[in-house]
Amino acid sequence: MALFELTLAEAADAVAQGELSPVELTGSVLERLDAVEERLGAYVAVASEAARESAALAEREIAAGRYRGPLHGIPFGLKDLIDVAGLPTTASSRVRAGHVAPADSAVARRLFDAGAVLLGKTHTHEFAYGLTTPQTRNAWDQGRIAGGSSGGSAVAVAAGAATFALGTDTGGSIRVPAALNGVVGLKPTYDLLSRHGVTSLSWSLDHVGPLTRTVRDAALVLSALTGHGSKDPVGPGAARPGCPPPGEGSLTGLRIGVPVNYYFDRVSPAVETAVRGALAQLSDLGAELVEVEIPMARYVQATQWGLMVPEATAYHERALRSVPELYAPDVRVLLEAGELLSAGDYLRAQRARTLMRQAWGRVLEQVDVIAAPTVPMTAAEVGQDTVEWPDGTTESVSDAYVRLSAPANITGIPALTLPVGRDHAGLPIGMQLMGPPMGEALVLRAGRAYEAVQDGHGGLAPVAA
Amino acid sequence: MSDVELTATEAARWALRAGLPLESERHAEVAATANHIHAVVRTLRELDFGETPPATHTVEAEATDGSL
Repeated sequence: MALFELTLAEAADAVAQGELSPVELTGSVLERLDAVEERLGAYVAVASEAARESAALAEREIAAGRYRGPLHGIPFGLKDLIDVAGLPTTASSRVRAGHVAPADSAVARRLFDAGAVLLGKTHTHEFAYGLTTPQTRNAWDQGRIAGGSSGGSAVAVAAGAATFALGTDTGGSIRVPAALNGVVGLKPTYDLLSRHGVTSLSWSLDHVGPLTRTVRDAALVLSALTGHGSKDPVGPGAARPGCPPPGEGSLTGLRIGVPVNYYFDRVSPAVETAVRGALAQLSDLGAELVEVEIPMARYVQATQWGLMVPEATAYHERALRSVPELYAPDVRVLLEAGELLSAGDYLRAQRARTLMRQAWGRVLEQVDVIAAPTVPMTAAEVGQDTVEWPDGTTESVSDAYVRLSAPANITGIPALTLPVGRDHAGLPIGMQLMGPPMGEALVLRAGRAYEAVQDGHGGLAPVAA
Repeated sequence: MSDVELTATEAARWALRAGLPLESERHAEVAATANHIHAVVRTLRELDFGETPPATHTVEAEATDGSL
């Protein structure tokens, strides 16, 4: 096995035991990155020399007995919405030409304090306002889209061009590309992780979180991002629980909600089969499957759009008036149209969000976790705009991709996606586990238990070097 | 905005009123996109909100760049 194939946990264990050199690990991942990047387009910019220097520093520190924890010496990628002092934050946009971040974002600072090694910045759909990430290709089939908006981060992890990565999720932008590329993505509870120094799409919907190859790895990254010991504060208000490693094995006593509406409507047969198969395995592990009704399903898209569109337009107000021609056409027209929504539209969406949070809270009193498909279909072909469903309806690819992930953004609850199978073309399928606010340990526990009984979990996408 | 769809001219006028002059070739596309968004968000008018207040969200303690 090449070193770039190691999961974060495998690499961390070996580094901690003195059996793996961070310099060799980083070198292997950089070589892999070089070998696949031209076909995948995951990175905006790669900082090879800085990464090698950071890895060498980590190696010296560990040799001197100053081991910082599981991320020490581990190479990672950052979605290019997340500031690192002295580096451009392009948001994959010409609008940001010449911009250099003055300081580290809080999450980047956490990772640096943990000794992680930055490889570079990964592509996003421009300003995270879209679900395809057009610069990047799917790690499993380069004729397919990567998904978005954290497409670069997902593809880098899936291909072994990063051991882990961070992304952001406003309507599903961590979970969608993670599902489409066969990796794990965690959108934590709203405000659990600081958004300081992270370019906003929609202030009230944005979340930062990890993309990894295993659930265990996601728990390790979350622990580093929430644990104590950093000088930089994380967001105020919420408790900072850290993230204990999830238990393995039996799920006895865990109640898993299986939606009887919404989440299995208009999904491809392959997705439904794979997710129901995973549910059966969770049941075999001791979980109790409980049917649940998803509340306010009819109002998900309206609430999501009613919040996101005005907030995005407000964020871009000045640049939209000064350099509109620099935006990609799909993003520009959404921002311009956002000027035409009223305050009443926005307030109705905020009031609907209150109702939705209350209603979901009642469901999550009946069960510990809700399990459902992450995305209703596998990765679309590049250029494919719509999908036709067996009931005769059609839907835009972007609408379809965000339909099942958006409720967790509106309600702010944690949601974990993990791979649960592949379709006839070999494309990955994801299942998401959603828990109550601050219920990260619950969803990680369930996800880890499922993962532990899978053969070959954490495997890389078959991208030839 | 009413339930009646915006024409291209109306979209341009609304945008201008918001301080965003649109080039004439963009009027129709922006109107179509705005009408699509309005058709979706209009669904929320079906809800009986009663005394339900708008949701709030936590604002970061650290000052951040609020806009581009």
